[in-house]
Amino acid sequence: MLQTQELQVNIGPQHPSTHGVFRMLVTVDGETVVDLKPVFGYLHRNHEQIAEANSYLQNMPYTDRLDYFNSMANNHAYAMAVERLAGIEVPERAEYIRVLMVELTRILNHASAVGFMINDMGAWQTPLAFGMREREKILDLFEMASGARLMCNYFRFGGVVRDLPPEFIPNLRELLRALPAYIDELERLLRDNEILLQRAIGIGILPPEVALSYGVSGPVLRGSGIPYDVRKAEPYSVYDRFDFDVPVGKVGDVYDRFLVRIEEMRQSKRIIEQVLEQLPDAKGGHINPKARQNVRPPVGDAYARIESPKGELGFYLVSDGSTRPYRYKVRAPSFINLTPLADMCRGYKVADIVVILGSIDIVMGEVDR
Amino acid sequence: MYDMLAALINGALGWGWPEWALNLLSYILIVTIVLVVAPLQMLFFTYYERRVIARMQDRVGPNRVGPEGIWQPIADGVKMFTKEDIVPQAADRIVHFLAPCVVVAPTVLMFAVVPWGPGMVPVDLPTGLLFFFAISSISAVGLMMAGWASNNKFSLLGAMRAVAQMVSYEIPAVLSLIAIVMIVGSLSINEIIAYQTGLIISNRDLPGIPDLGLGWFVFTPVGFVAFIAFFIAALAEGERTPFDIPEADSEIVAGYMTEYSGMKFGLFYLAQYVLNFLLCAITAIIFFGGWQGPGVGWLYAQGITPDNPNGNGLFNVLAGVLGVFYFLLKTYIFFFVMVWLRGAFPRLRIDQLMDFGWKFLIPLTLANLFSAALWVAFTRWGPAEGMLITVGWSPVLRWLAAFVVTLAINLGVYLWLTRVYAASQAERRRAELEELSAAA
Repeated sequence: MLQTQELQVNIGPQHPSTHGVFRMLVTVDGETVVDLKPVFGYLHRNHEQIAEANSYLQNMPYTDRLDYFNSMANNHAYAMAVERLAGIEVPERAEYIRVLMVELTRILNHASAVGFMINDMGAWQTPLAFGMREREKILDLFEMASGARLMCNYFRFGGVVRDLPPEFIPNLRELLRALPAYIDELERLLRDNEILLQRAIGIGILPPEVALSYGVSGPVLRGSGIPYDVRKAEPYSVYDRFDFDVPVGKVGDVYDRFLVRIEEMRQSKRIIEQVLEQLPDAKGGHINPKARQNVRPPVGDAYARIESPKGELGFYLVSDGSTRPYRYKVRAPSFINLTPLADMCRGYKVADIVVILGSIDIVMGEVDR
Repeated sequence: MYDMLAALINGALGWGWPEWALNLLSYILIVTIVLVVAPLQMLFFTYYERRVIARMQDRVGPNRVGPEGIWQPIADGVKMFTKEDIVPQAADRIVHFLAPCVVVAPTVLMFAVVPWGPGMVPVDLPTGLLFFFAISSISAVGLMMAGWASNNKFSLLGAMRAVAQMVSYEIPAVLSLIAIVMIVGSLSINEIIAYQTGLIISNRDLPGIPDLGLGWFVFTPVGFVAFIAFFIAALAEGERTPFDIPEADSEIVAGYMTEYSGMKFGLFYLAQYVLNFLLCAITAIIFFGGWQGPGVGWLYAQGITPDNPNGNGLFNVLAGVLGVFYFLLKTYIFFFVMVWLRGAFPRLRIDQLMDFGWKFLIPLTLANLFSAALWVAFTRWGPAEGMLITVGWSPVLRWLAAFVVTLAINLGVYLWLTRVYAASQAERRRAELEELSAAA
């Protein structure tokens, strides 16, 4: 008999496709994965502790750095938590602008997530360039509104920094016109490619009951066939006024997650169109009430959650009546979606690991806070 | 090479050099071609690839060094030379050092049998094709040495993948070439090129067709299937996308090259691009007539050849220039296809690659071999060999019969194999899922 031995391979923390400093301790038998242990914490920067030393408003730009792809969504969740804590009302127009920004964020996140995933499958940057193409236009819109492309810091308690500039809406309409063709193109990139189908179908299956037991959320959970979306389950902001569907997958493999993301981009476009219809009628009010920025909420606690592009993003705040949060906790979707990675990878090949990781869509800035 | 020089120097220029001087000059030229032109091709290829891929991705690509960035590869080379050479502490120093040499040497040697133009082959071996493939498989040893000596798990995984892939894909590559060798009846690369004169198919089978140098094998059913199979296998041997599994950068960092830096890494890089050039060149030579093209045959016939000792030596040179142009044009087109694939496709998984090779390509090339045998029988055999049906048929009719029969066989086998292969893949996927659910 030949003596065979299982090999332990460290994928990461410095590795081309771990999306940051993330380490996977993989036990392989030849090319087959026997076991996998995710190790994180390499990017830990004491986010929550630092936030407790800052005033409430000082934390707003800091939340940008969590999931740096979706700074608008992070702003939204944090602003909602503080507003609940301090009992601040948000004018209708500001709510619409917020929804508009978060849905744009969703489109750009999903486009680049799909691009990155195909890149992990070994395509040499071209799908990524496809994914990044429309992202640039959306970032231009963000720059118009907030002055920054990535770290937008656009939301304020009780509103947003400033109203939309006049050139914003025409540019957005132009983007919306080009969007359906772009989304179709991105979908064809996978659906019509035999190699991609072979690499995606039946890979990294996450059964719905396992997904539930891990507390997974977002497109990963919906890919497993559970139609759970915070926007529908607990409508916040003005989401109850929009008509949109929650796409779900059938099997819960990489392919289903991809299709869910593509469909969500279409739904986001629907929501944005409805926002554009309703925005002119929305009551204005004071969009950036400066007086409310130096908040001193009463003693108590509040939790606010939104459907961020990566899943359920929650902020839990405890106030001791001072200008600084007593406790500040982030429920990061990337972190919780990453926990079932071992279950998803066991039994597949080494090459599948990076694809499965890519299909979860993590940002290390959010995993290690 | 000697003939061409003799024709130019003693024939056209009338300098009357002695034989030894001509020999010396021709050897110097051969060595120059093998050792200088080969690396220069590699330099150009890296630049060409980066520019083409950049264009596919809406970028400009290297454009800083020199006009349109044409000196970028030189700058890269200088960088390679000045980098520190790092050998891991736990590595086997000698094997680690030898591996790049073992990988590079065979790729350079392979240039010895590549004909660049009419009468411009460095060494005209009667078994040139055999030499080419025998030498090319040596580099698998070098890859394994590199992976093993680095003492790195990524390197080892990459080397295992590289060797498995190279060994498996050599079989369909060689099988598809054997079909051509059967039709030509020779392993000499020059013979194979000489066969592809005429129009559509060789005027050896069909006399009286004007020689346009377009009798390429790819226009026959046998040659077409062999070309497709060979090019796919060449992608796997040259480690090109979608078969760049041994150095899959998103999975195993850089495969067997992970622990190499500086010029040792540069040598691997060189070997890879030179091998890609050679694989494109051999595809162009075997299936697309190499230097054959409209005009070359006519020019060459005017020059000094064994059949025509009184020709004008200048025509030899003209034929050579045109031939090299055609040859390089075809080679660059194939390299463009490789780059194009790299820009468009993700890579397969190692087990899917093996499945495709063993369950699809090898049966297809075996069936193609059968077609090639029928082709020879229909076009050349008479009653003495037992082909009584073709008695009394004109050459055109025999040729047409061969074309139709081989087309039918190849098409039928292809359709049947795609169906069987898809079914087996579906079955495998189902079995894997069952296994997974049983394990969970």
